[in-house]
Amino acid sequence: MQKLPLEGIRITDFCHVWAGPHVTQWLAVMGAEVIKIESNLHPDLTRSFFAGDKTLTPGLNQSVDFAVLNYGKKCCTINMTLPKGRELAKEIMRVSDIVTENFGGAVMDRWGLGYSDLQKLKPDIIMYSGSGFGRTGPYKELPAYAPIVDAFAGLFSLNGCLGSEPCPFGVGGWTDLVAAQHGAFAILAALHHRSNTGEGQYIDLSMTEVASSFLPDAIMDYTMNDRVQGAQGNRDNAMAPHGCYRCQGDDEWIAIAVSSDEEWKAFCDAIGNPEWTTDERFRDGLNRWKNQEELDRLIQEWTKTYSHHEAMEILQRAGVMAGPSLKAEEVVQDSHLREREFFIDIEHPEMGTVRLARLPWKLSDSPQGNYNHAPSLGEHNDYVFKELLNMSDEKIAQLQEEQVIL
Amino acid sequence: MTMQALSGLKVVEWCEFISGPYCGKLLADLGAEVIKIERPGLGDKARSHGPFPQDIPHPEKSGTFLYLNTNKLGVTLNVRSTTGAEIFKQLVKQADILVENNPPREVEELGFNYESLKKLNPRLVMTSITPFGQTGPYRDYKSCDLISFHVSGMAYINPSCGVDDIEQKPPLRGSENQSGLVAGLSGAIATMSAIFASHATGLGQHVDISEQEALANVMRITLGTYALEDVAWTRYRPVPLSEIYHCNDGLVYMVLDQDKTWLSWVEAMGNPEWAMSELFQDQVSRRENRDAGKMLIEEWTKEHTVDEVVRAAEARRIPCKAVNTVKESFSSELLADRGYFVEVDHTAAGKFQYPGAPCKLSLTPWRVERPAPLLGQHNEDVFCGRLGYTRQDLVTMRAQGAI
Repeated sequence: MQKLPLEGIRITDFCHVWAGPHVTQWLAVMGAEVIKIESNLHPDLTRSFFAGDKTLTPGLNQSVDFAVLNYGKKCCTINMTLPKGRELAKEIMRVSDIVTENFGGAVMDRWGLGYSDLQKLKPDIIMYSGSGFGRTGPYKELPAYAPIVDAFAGLFSLNGCLGSEPCPFGVGGWTDLVAAQHGAFAILAALHHRSNTGEGQYIDLSMTEVASSFLPDAIMDYTMNDRVQGAQGNRDNAMAPHGCYRCQGDDEWIAIAVSSDEEWKAFCDAIGNPEWTTDERFRDGLNRWKNQEELDRLIQEWTKTYSHHEAMEILQRAGVMAGPSLKAEEVVQDSHLREREFFIDIEHPEMGTVRLARLPWKLSDSPQGNYNHAPSLGEHNDYVFKELLNMSDEKIAQLQEEQVIL
Repeated sequence: MTMQALSGLKVVEWCEFISGPYCGKLLADLGAEVIKIERPGLGDKARSHGPFPQDIPHPEKSGTFLYLNTNKLGVTLNVRSTTGAEIFKQLVKQADILVENNPPREVEELGFNYESLKKLNPRLVMTSITPFGQTGPYRDYKSCDLISFHVSGMAYINPSCGVDDIEQKPPLRGSENQSGLVAGLSGAIATMSAIFASHATGLGQHVDISEQEALANVMRITLGTYALEDVAWTRYRPVPLSEIYHCNDGLVYMVLDQDKTWLSWVEAMGNPEWAMSELFQDQVSRRENRDAGKMLIEEWTKEHTVDEVVRAAEARRIPCKAVNTVKESFSSELLADRGYFVEVDHTAAGKFQYPGAPCKLSLTPWRVERPAPLLGQHNEDVFCGRLGYTRQDLVTMRAQGAI
């Protein structure tokens, strides 16, 4: 059985909530040993996030949120509020390649575990710090909330239907997970550099900067033309028709885009060449774009008579870009994603069999990935303290007594 | 010249528009050598896309193209001609990585699928980024950013503040090109992982990136919440208690999803009587009476400036910031202090400020060594300098339509 690409890499992981853990989720799935440091005093906040019936008070190992972001990882419990806890954590870092954190402020520095401290422990260590606004600058002590970052970076001003006021975007942490992926990429780049030179380094990721990196059209329009773009929703600068149309079922819609005269002809053929398609207003690309409001209305008369999947099949068969606007339950049941095994069943000791999205990571000759269940709190204490750090039972008992291992 | 993180890696980029080029950009910006192949004549279609300075379309002045193609070498190559295909294979033979975002059927028809290319170069990492991936019933379906966004489930939950009329307000795409950018980013991670794998095996492999999956990954929490808790966020069942509020000179976004922050904010507003009502006594009731709560909070915020509201909130550690346009974020003290925007000087387009480093690496920082290439700018460097063709060869090939 082939190895996973990052086997042999060990990560001491202080990441919590969403933006941090998705970084180390990538690395864990790709084979790195990720050791999350939590404690019963301060478990990862996500362990208490529940969308469902909160009166059920599920336990700290039963959160869906946590399960979805932390599979593949190990967990040990260390009370970092105590100096002895930090010394213990240092022992794990001493034998790690990478240390990751996303605290809301310079917590690691205050603990004596900042990058310059860690370099003394292990000169080639790679340290990753994720935050909302960066570890330098005027907002370095502010905690990160993805929608706050998005509001600041301008993402909300570009989200909404044409001409609308800014709208909040992205339930479930859009910028958190996009930032996390930039972080994972930067860590791999740093690892690559280390394999060539033996040098580690420090990575300072600000979610605001990541968010801005995802707005090139709007930013370049501003820097080039002093123009402030607004939201345009399902519309496009050039393509028409280009929108989302009502279908037969309950709140059911299909997205359709036509980008050329050939595709327009194919579209008209596919919908049976109704008379309105020969209307003067739709005679060429520019006129279709100018009259798209009326065009959209007429197209919807057709789409309303089909389900979104039916409409997609008819249009795709004709070579027209079209796809259903899927609800969460439809994504989970989507036949294409099923064929590609995008959802996998993970056995979890307290939650039973959980069906979760894998990462969009698919290599032809590497194994599928490390999809072991998200760890219970302290699940790997024995492994970390006894096996990895070679501590005696007496020593461990003493540290538990002193509430260092907590 | 100081070494960069990915110095020494050789990449061939056979891509256009957003997804593949963003993957190539991420590699190039950290020092990999990226040779970008464009079709002769029109080049990458992003060149036609804009924005353009003064709205004057020009293939060397598209803002989107200029941003996405920093640090790359540019050549023109018609891979569908026999000579072009020959050159393509020579480039691939010398490369560590090939990034491509072409329809899978076309790649197969040209004989450039992974099975064929790995015979030429067993250590090649080939990263293919397509709307639906290399397998499955939708593999050959046609798509674009709008379609990807909707089939991933992302549009159905947008906007997260909810809409009043679900018949009039369909599921919504976010800002432009997010699908391609996320797919390119996922591709860059996967590409590097395959490079690591090749250290152990000496062999490359095929990286299969689907835009639909890359986007669905970003909404994994929403998908998990549906699958395991039977709770689905949608544009008509929004996330509670995080709102945009009107001030007298703009908008703010504030998160009041905890008792602690709610009580703190009530105090900031001078403890208005309405906040003592049982309608707002806990999270559950505040969620139920969301519209009323928002209206009442706005009675206060509309009497104050954005600045005042943000300061009052942040003084109490309540998450709150202005809802900026890109103009305001561009001019912000934060991004100036962080040196985020960088000036790039391009021979044809001129000097403009571009978005800069997505994150800061201390030893091997992100930088722009060269601006986006002019069409065919490095034909001579690459075809003559590396592959041994003569200038006269290039003249002939150009006349034949191969380059």
